[in-house]
Amino acid sequence: LTNVQSDATSGRPLPEPDERSAPYWAAAADHVLTVARCSRCQMFTVPVDEVCSQCLSSDPDFRFVPVIGAGTIRSWTVVRQSFLPGFDVPFVLVDVELADAPDVRLIGRLLDGPDVPLRLGDQVEVVFEDLTPEISVPAFTLASPEARQP
Amino acid sequence: MSDFARDQVAIAGYAHSTVLRHADRSLGALTLETTRTAIADAGLEVADIDGFVTSALFPTAGDHAVEDGVSTVTSDWLASHLGADPAYVSGFQGMGQIPGIVAMAVNAITSGAAKHVLIHRALHNPQGRYHGSSRRTIRGPQQWTAPQGFFGPVSAIGLTYNEYLQRYGASREAMAAVVVEARKNGARLPWSVWKDKPITAEDYLAAPMISDPIGRLDCDLPVDGVAAFVLTSAERARDLPRAPVYISGYASSAPPRHRLPLHWPLDDVMASGRHVVERLWVRSGVSLDNIDLPQIYDGFSPWAYIWMEVLGLCPVGEAHRFVQDGRIDSDRPDGLPVLSGGGALGNGRMHGIPQMLECYLQVSGRAGDRQRDGIDIALACASSPHMGGAVVYRKEPG
Repeated sequence: LTNVQSDATSGRPLPEPDERSAPYWAAAADHVLTVARCSRCQMFTVPVDEVCSQCLSSDPDFRFVPVIGAGTIRSWTVVRQSFLPGFDVPFVLVDVELADAPDVRLIGRLLDGPDVPLRLGDQVEVVFEDLTPEISVPAFTLASPEARQP
Repeated sequence: MSDFARDQVAIAGYAHSTVLRHADRSLGALTLETTRTAIADAGLEVADIDGFVTSALFPTAGDHAVEDGVSTVTSDWLASHLGADPAYVSGFQGMGQIPGIVAMAVNAITSGAAKHVLIHRALHNPQGRYHGSSRRTIRGPQQWTAPQGFFGPVSAIGLTYNEYLQRYGASREAMAAVVVEARKNGARLPWSVWKDKPITAEDYLAAPMISDPIGRLDCDLPVDGVAAFVLTSAERARDLPRAPVYISGYASSAPPRHRLPLHWPLDDVMASGRHVVERLWVRSGVSLDNIDLPQIYDGFSPWAYIWMEVLGLCPVGEAHRFVQDGRIDSDRPDGLPVLSGGGALGNGRMHGIPQMLECYLQVSGRAGDRQRDGIDIALACASSPHMGGAVVYRKEPG
């Protein structure tokens, strides 16, 4: 891993993986974005739940499936006051609809910075912020210019 | 829906504390004083109150302790500390607190579970940052958002609001018309935290940004404050000293679709809002044309646009234009008085209380110098269209 930044350095809060989320965070540590997929109806659900929100199965046997991590910006906000420790402000959060999982939307930091002009529909791709050797958090960057036209 | 308890329950009295940034005594003490006043206002005594309903939600994302009588006041705490002997004590869980607790009180009264139900809402502003957290480890549902930097409702509404602005080509400047109107009306309320403190559009735009396009004055101010209403059957209400205000119908938002915590895509909000408004018209037996006084919820200013659009007060995507040029100025004879009660932005963070109170005061004829003519049917929104709901009140049973 490159750009490893320890928790002691960043001061950002770290997720505590649990029985259900452990596969997700393990994949993220390898810089692979995954989305929970219902084994019954094959639909994606974010975040993983007890029940599939699509087919309503109470035994969805969710599996975290790798996705490309490309997506479309549906909204954004520039955070100028953080309510959590360890985040330098300002930073941009984007609301991203995943290309691999239509209607599934993730929220993450856009690492291009707060001064980059944005439009609805701009294309992004996933990147990872390495907070500790075990924890990498998904974020986004704008896709290359040729990839940005939806 | 003839089986619905339309106009069978009425508000018989109320009280509202002074709203302060920080009260000089505990929230529990403030709640006792306010509810005793409300009971007396209805011409009753504590012994007459056999039902207690509240929503005890303390809606902070921060690290503050939830302590009954201090940072929140449950109906159990209140009934016990008032020395009551209630037959029915209950609490609503969820964001749509006013339609939620009104529904529970109506159901308790019409079922015979209680005769006189005290509903109250007690809100507290803790010391320190309201939504501030020093958490270093995130467990549970927030592990999907907080490590990514998405935390608390201000960024949440920032995303929803920017989606609106970008989709409809609206400007941040347009919202000044909403916030200035709310603060103008709030400045006239003797109980408001913003009493005698109106603002200009320039003040609004000069306030610091928190999560673009949300600035400080797009958010209601956390406060200490308590409101209480006494509800009883329509028959009993007519024998009490105050003019009854009948509850014609209520609708609570259906549970929103499964998303990340605090993720409120605009389309989700609008779809849920349209649904709740349709149900409200069916329940209450009225339509928008019958509403003399709509009171929109504005705890974050963009909810004002969105409620106006889901109610049909203006076309979808047009609220940012509609609110301009005095069209929501409650002092103008042709103005749509959607914020005549000051809303949350003009009262402080009292959740849906300002909207409910303005409906009650205007319909009962108790609004004093602010009394408007011809207010027979009023509508109060609460929270957002996808997590809240609305209630219709009227002067005469339909």
